[in-house]
Amino acid sequence: MTELVTITIDGEDHKVAKGMNIVDAAALVGVDIPHYCYHPHLSVAGNCRMCQVELNGRPKLEIACNTTASEGLKVNTHHTSKAVKDAQAATLEFILINHPLDCTVCDQAGHCKLQDYHYEYNARPSRFLEEKEHKVKAQPLGPTVMLDGERCIMCSRCVRFCDEITKTSEIGLINRGDKTVIAVDPKHPLSNPLSGTVVDLCPVGALTHREWRFNTRIWFTKQADAICPGCSTGCNVKVATRDGEVVQVKARHNAEVNKEWLCDEGRYGFMRFLPKKRITGVQVHGKAASLQDAAKALKGMQGEGTYVFIAPDLTTEEYRLLKKLKDTALKSAHFVLAYKERSLTDVEKVLISPDYAPNFKGALMCGLVEGNLQKNYEDALAAVIDGSAKQVLVFGDRGILASDASVLMTAAVGRASLTAFIGTDATHPLAEVCSVVIGARSILERSGVLVNRGLRVQYTDKVIEPPQDTVPTWKVLSEIAKVFVVALPAWISDRDVTLWYLAEEQKLAGMTIKSIKQNSLVIGDAHGN
Amino acid sequence: MEHANALARVDELKKKYPNPRSAVMPALYIAQEIFGHISDEAVTWVSDAMQMPAVQVREVASFYTMYYKKPVGKYHFQICRTVSCTICGMCKLTELLHKKFGVKPGEVSADGMWSYEEVECLGSCGTAPMVQINDIYFEKLDPRKLEEIITKIAQEKPELRYSTLTDQIGAGLAGYAKSEVI
Amino acid sequence: MTHKQILLQNIHQPNQHTISGYESRGGYQTIKKVLRMDPAAVIEEVKASGLRGRGGAGFSTGTKWGFVPKNSGKPVYLLNNADESEPGTFKDRVLLERDPHLCIEGMIMAGWALQSNWSAVYIRGEYGYPFTRINEAVKEAYAKGYLGENIFGSGFTHHMVVHRGAGAYICGEETALINSLEGVKGQPRLKPPFPAVVGLYGCPTIVNNTETLAALPFILEHGAKSYTALGTEKSPGTKLFSVSGHVNKPGVYEIELGYPMEKFIYEDCGGIRGGKKLKAVIPGGSSVPVLRADEIKNVTMDYESIRDAGSMLGSGGFIVMDEDTDMVQVAMNVAHFYSHESCGQCTPCREGGHWIEKIFTRIHHGNGLAGDLELVNNVCGQIAGHTICPFGEALAIPAMSFIKKFPEEFKGLIKDSLVGINKKRELMHYEEIMGAH
Repeated sequence: MTELVTITIDGEDHKVAKGMNIVDAAALVGVDIPHYCYHPHLSVAGNCRMCQVELNGRPKLEIACNTTASEGLKVNTHHTSKAVKDAQAATLEFILINHPLDCTVCDQAGHCKLQDYHYEYNARPSRFLEEKEHKVKAQPLGPTVMLDGERCIMCSRCVRFCDEITKTSEIGLINRGDKTVIAVDPKHPLSNPLSGTVVDLCPVGALTHREWRFNTRIWFTKQADAICPGCSTGCNVKVATRDGEVVQVKARHNAEVNKEWLCDEGRYGFMRFLPKKRITGVQVHGKAASLQDAAKALKGMQGEGTYVFIAPDLTTEEYRLLKKLKDTALKSAHFVLAYKERSLTDVEKVLISPDYAPNFKGALMCGLVEGNLQKNYEDALAAVIDGSAKQVLVFGDRGILASDASVLMTAAVGRASLTAFIGTDATHPLAEVCSVVIGARSILERSGVLVNRGLRVQYTDKVIEPPQDTVPTWKVLSEIAKVFVVALPAWISDRDVTLWYLAEEQKLAGMTIKSIKQNSLVIGDAHGN
Repeated sequence: MEHANALARVDELKKKYPNPRSAVMPALYIAQEIFGHISDEAVTWVSDAMQMPAVQVREVASFYTMYYKKPVGKYHFQICRTVSCTICGMCKLTELLHKKFGVKPGEVSADGMWSYEEVECLGSCGTAPMVQINDIYFEKLDPRKLEEIITKIAQEKPELRYSTLTDQIGAGLAGYAKSEVI
Repeated sequence: MTHKQILLQNIHQPNQHTISGYESRGGYQTIKKVLRMDPAAVIEEVKASGLRGRGGAGFSTGTKWGFVPKNSGKPVYLLNNADESEPGTFKDRVLLERDPHLCIEGMIMAGWALQSNWSAVYIRGEYGYPFTRINEAVKEAYAKGYLGENIFGSGFTHHMVVHRGAGAYICGEETALINSLEGVKGQPRLKPPFPAVVGLYGCPTIVNNTETLAALPFILEHGAKSYTALGTEKSPGTKLFSVSGHVNKPGVYEIELGYPMEKFIYEDCGGIRGGKKLKAVIPGGSSVPVLRADEIKNVTMDYESIRDAGSMLGSGGFIVMDEDTDMVQVAMNVAHFYSHESCGQCTPCREGGHWIEKIFTRIHHGNGLAGDLELVNNVCGQIAGHTICPFGEALAIPAMSFIKKFPEEFKGLIKDSLVGINKKRELMHYEEIMGAH
């Protein structure tokens, strides 16, 4: 039980946890204290001076980020203190005297804290008439990040991230005075697995992604609050798309999941979750068919010889549907989740989970699978090769990994009596040999509930509009269920399915989509590791 | 080999402090003696000797004025340009050096012997104006006296440095006290 | 007038810097007495003496020592701040060169009071020769068993290291000094926490100026009352003043605090050279406001009187300027010093410091604009009090004082319009590139 203390902010009393950082405490009660160098998950630097406030009526202002909540503390922000207002305006003027007027060519424009704060807290023309300091612009710090030395406001967030989080210490601030500049040692460029995070952390356009420089203005993009489907950490991300292409991926802050970090593999590889060549429509034995026909064609599956391979990046709603099928029509079939562990370096372990299975916990939570997932998957693959799998259904491209779809495997699948591939990637080896092939949607093209490794329930918004001639996986399952006379509601959208699921699942009783997005809650579960 | 001695000296220095990282400053002085200035090679050497990330060595080296980023002359003249020295005629000394060495501040003469720069208060205000040549002060100067010193240095090639490696200061310039503060 | 000499008593003796010379004049006797005292009693005696930090802050030394928590379980460190880089100041240099053992004995006494087993002298890198003097002295002390294990046979261990800086004025700020000594950039830390609680390597640390530590042998030999008998009630004892500029007899002077300033200039320092008239005085190093000749009439050399006159005693870096001095040039010179020495950590000082220098430079070149002086005052007002460390105040407050005290000189270089400004800016830039004065 954290001890609470009463502090006064702008004349109003609030009860907050003792020792809480005042920047955070103010944000909690809806009062904005602007800041650059402060970050809730990095050490306090106190160098930008933007968060100055009046404490206990003293004339000398103090920085809020180096102040913690104590009983009776009185804080006056710019809302009630002219001295604070003046100090904020002065700080912005100081930052801007050497800052280049690059807005017209800077990627940060439109989502830049310098622009935003200047508009909000200063909005006065600069009085600086002298020559600005000049530094090297467009200097690569490593393969992923570009530095513009003139734009840097020397908040040191990037330095502290590499020192304290990845502990790789690639970045430093060299020289002194206003000659100070960010640098790396030429022999040790910025190359840790979370390197792109420093671009998210940079409040201005000093650090930009080499991958995405100059590709678009942020205001031309659509933004989606998604969960990265790379691994079961479930990092919260904001994905910007334009014309169906991912043009930038930013980490969203979530103190319990990914803080504000994101790995490069997830960030820069976001488009890998979309296939280059799509499967469209529905095919039965090589001929175009309706979804109902395809479902009927699958009637033959039941019993011991049926193997259902499930990708670990389907939504929890879809796992729930599969479980319904398992409990009714396919009681003796084998349901297998494609789960494989990977080894991680120490730096990767800071954030990445040792799997490529973003929702395997969702599958476990639904009771769809259990036990040693990797062993079960490998045994199932062996069953296909040795012919004991008579019917093989694959839900999702990663139901059987392309790397596991060897020539032997593909041939074995081809010999099975009934096969189905419900996925997106036309180049997947199994897409050519299965008797039923249905063009489905990628995880980026759906919204739904995902459960991360820590049993945290999260919700991903749709990032990209799916092509019209594809079918959501829940619709396929719904049709299959019909064939087996299992009644399900007639859903129209992803959202309908989610609402149905939230009503069904006792473990998520009382949750709504909104409440899941606001507070990621952990579910206690017998299956949990 | 100088480098082996130097590494041993760095280890010796590390032991003097409760935390060995404190030895990075003397280690940089030693590297400067070996490599002439804080070059990329020097940074790598210190980084290895101190087991410190190279960029942090660069942070420390670039913060202080006495770690040279570029080569300096065999005799490097540091002219104090702060208040007392300026109001006591420092400018004439700079002009003299500019004329005699034929280079701008920060550059090295063609024969590698001479370089100069203006620096901030050297703590010798009462004997202004003055110049620090390598590690030794020459005080109460005027252009004539400074010219004499340059001539004498050119003739006698005295040792004017303090070596962190050997913990020895040079003999200085004959006839000139190492300190005239009182 | 002969002043009581506590610190400079023996500096003219040719061998005072050697241990044999030091001991022949009574050195290293008082420490033996101190090592038999209760450490808390030593702290009380120093408190009672009213000794104030001689580096510039003027904070009560005994009180500062009292901030070290008892029983923290961590080692306590003592650091001798010999970084002396305040323009106009060169007094610690004299002590380190001429009487290094006085400094060492004072440090051991402080070490005993604080129960510190490890201390360091942080001496600025440019002081090559004084460094060799204090370095040799420490070796001599070790050789005689005055440093190391079981010093003076007392059972107390005290190790001492001499550490060279490498050219950064900011390392005279105590937390910057600590950072520099730790092997990271010499940038100041946020306070709180204060060094007495969290300092070197996270342990309780006391940083004292060289002159402060050198006063301890006298205080602990003759007692606090002998010290308070000198000087004034609030500014007891003696202080070293480093006199430079346009006087006939520049140098380091030790005088009792409370001595009349005009008398000091015209008698002790021999008056203004060349028969010129006094124009201005900076009494405590470039970080304190300048005083005009007419403002020092009744000022005495102590903390209170100088403060009441609108300046500060500071480090006692006493710079005297005659009637021919260009005060705009002095302001520009000082502004350049601060912008060059800014550590660059926090926004107001890093950006504002160089801005002030650029404005003063432009004014000095004859390109001042209407509104420049108000701008400087406004900018300085947003630097002082808004920074991580007092460097902000040191940068801003003297800058404002030059304008306040010598407005005619500045106004004479101010034009009334923007006409021609761009052409002149081009020329100025060219001059900067070519490095002309």
